[in-house]
Amino acid sequence: MAYKITAEKLDALLKALCEGRKLICLEQANDQLHLVRADGWSPEKHTLGAYRPVEPLKSLVFQPREFLGSLTDDTEVAGGKEVIVVGAKNCDLSALRIHDYVFLSDPVDPYYKAARERTILVSCDCTDAREVCFCTAVNEQPYAKKGFDVNLSETSKGYVVESGSEKGEKLLKSAGALLEPADEAILKERDQKRADMAKKVADLAASKGLKAGQDYQAAIKKSEESDLWDDFSKDCVECGACNYVCCTCHCFLLADGMVEGKAPGRVKQWDSCLHLNFARVAGGANPRKHRSERLHNRFDKKFNFFPQVLKTYACDGCGRCAEACTGKIDIRDVLKRALDEV
Amino acid sequence: MKSDPYKAVAAKVESVVDETPTIKTFRFKPVEPIPFKAGQFVELSVPGYGEAPFTPSSSPAISDHMEITIMRAGTLTERIHTLKAGDDVGIRGPLGQPYPLDKYKGKEVLIVGGGVGLAPLRALLFGLFQEIDAYKKIILRYGARTPSDLVYRDAVSKAWDKKQLDVMLSVDKRDESWKGNEGVVTTILEKGKLSCDPKNGVAVVCGPPIMMKFATLKVLELGYAPENIYLSMEKNMSCGIGKCGHCRIGPYYACKDGPVFAYAQIQNESKIWD
Repeated sequence: MAYKITAEKLDALLKALCEGRKLICLEQANDQLHLVRADGWSPEKHTLGAYRPVEPLKSLVFQPREFLGSLTDDTEVAGGKEVIVVGAKNCDLSALRIHDYVFLSDPVDPYYKAARERTILVSCDCTDAREVCFCTAVNEQPYAKKGFDVNLSETSKGYVVESGSEKGEKLLKSAGALLEPADEAILKERDQKRADMAKKVADLAASKGLKAGQDYQAAIKKSEESDLWDDFSKDCVECGACNYVCCTCHCFLLADGMVEGKAPGRVKQWDSCLHLNFARVAGGANPRKHRSERLHNRFDKKFNFFPQVLKTYACDGCGRCAEACTGKIDIRDVLKRALDEV
Repeated sequence: MKSDPYKAVAAKVESVVDETPTIKTFRFKPVEPIPFKAGQFVELSVPGYGEAPFTPSSSPAISDHMEITIMRAGTLTERIHTLKAGDDVGIRGPLGQPYPLDKYKGKEVLIVGGGVGLAPLRALLFGLFQEIDAYKKIILRYGARTPSDLVYRDAVSKAWDKKQLDVMLSVDKRDESWKGNEGVVTTILEKGKLSCDPKNGVAVVCGPPIMMKFATLKVLELGYAPENIYLSMEKNMSCGIGKCGHCRIGPYYACKDGPVFAYAQIQNESKIWD
């Protein structure tokens, strides 16, 4: 159901939604947005954000480093206090389809499940794009069609407020006094703004030679023996930043150690497929000894593996990897070259 | 398997057998039974040190004990080799897909093993023994580097004799004690040393990567169809349940879709032998 709310009342709505919950929202710092923890919604400090933040949304449900307790305890994972995220963008929201597939398929990862269930997602349409954004070229768009509990769309007449889940609908009902039903005029303006924004991103992607509907899977499949991986991997320093900031990357390592130097415990932590030992086995065999093979593997996983198992690319065009790469490897240049070589 | 798939069943080391200078067989007693099928693997952990995948080498008919044969090959196995009776470990599993024994019934089963790769094949042999009359014939061809690298020489060879298996062993390099064949394992897959019926049989291969490659090429040459050749693939498996991403082979994860694959499934994927 779509509602509308005036800009003046929006803060009251957000404050009401955040009441009694842990808040994660966006804060501007220099020319970037950051995902931050906050005590409550503050319009002076926080913003809905024109585009996605530096930190990927996945980090809230699939933590960089999560302590799983002792090796043999099988205690139920506690639900914990509800978390509300305000300002999530479509690239990040949509990316959770990858994590849902990985962590919720049998056998279920109870840590992910609990985190997902306690998290309320309030998304909003992008109102600007970063230079590296190319979501439209990987069949996404700069606004959410699904995956949110509540979505906000800014217009000149206030905000369109939409629920995308039962949880979201309930939340909006509880704040009903602040909302009015959305009228045709505001919905029309929202649709126009969305179309304008999609065009802006499409133009940015086109400036790098990428556009919607291109067959990246065929290109990456065919590229395995190409020199392109040698060429691009010359600049890779195996830092793993591309994996860590990626909204879809899900690889991790189950590690054991002594917690606080005392009891043995188990940790689940992000891993990077660019690291030399990622696929190495004891005894030394390694199917991806060369950096070029590992870089190819990263693209193969995103643009060939996931289309086979889930009929989707595991890339939402957030462009974070291009911004984070120490060697300035730009995913758009890699894709373009692979496409050109088909 | 626990409801938290990252957690292990506590177990204790009951006994340790030295198989070769670098290989030991550990017998574990878990606090609860761990039923498994031949070819499935477990993640064995040393609390506080780490975890790695191994395939049990004991009979799948026994679930209250488990034997695992482990070669010293890295940091964790180095640590495992220091374990003594009474020490604590964790066992997570069983994980992955077993040998599809139903598909082997009524057929001849050719088993080709190399080095410590005989460990999962020992569990397979025990599995086959449970219904030995269901299979036309069981042939074992096993090779190791030297006579002292052959595992299970005493215990299993007696069982082999009793079950009247067609067994032949080979060593890459003989010493004065060795009266048998000298040469890599493919030399005992040659005519005159092997009589088999590839059209009505399956071949099972397990061993180090290089042996897997040449043994598979050899059984293909003998006439076994790619869908009748079964490989147990060794990959870096961390979570063991298809989530952590380490052990991918094309569209598969070795831990979830394997470790047992028909060669036909993976023959077109790149670098399967590395």
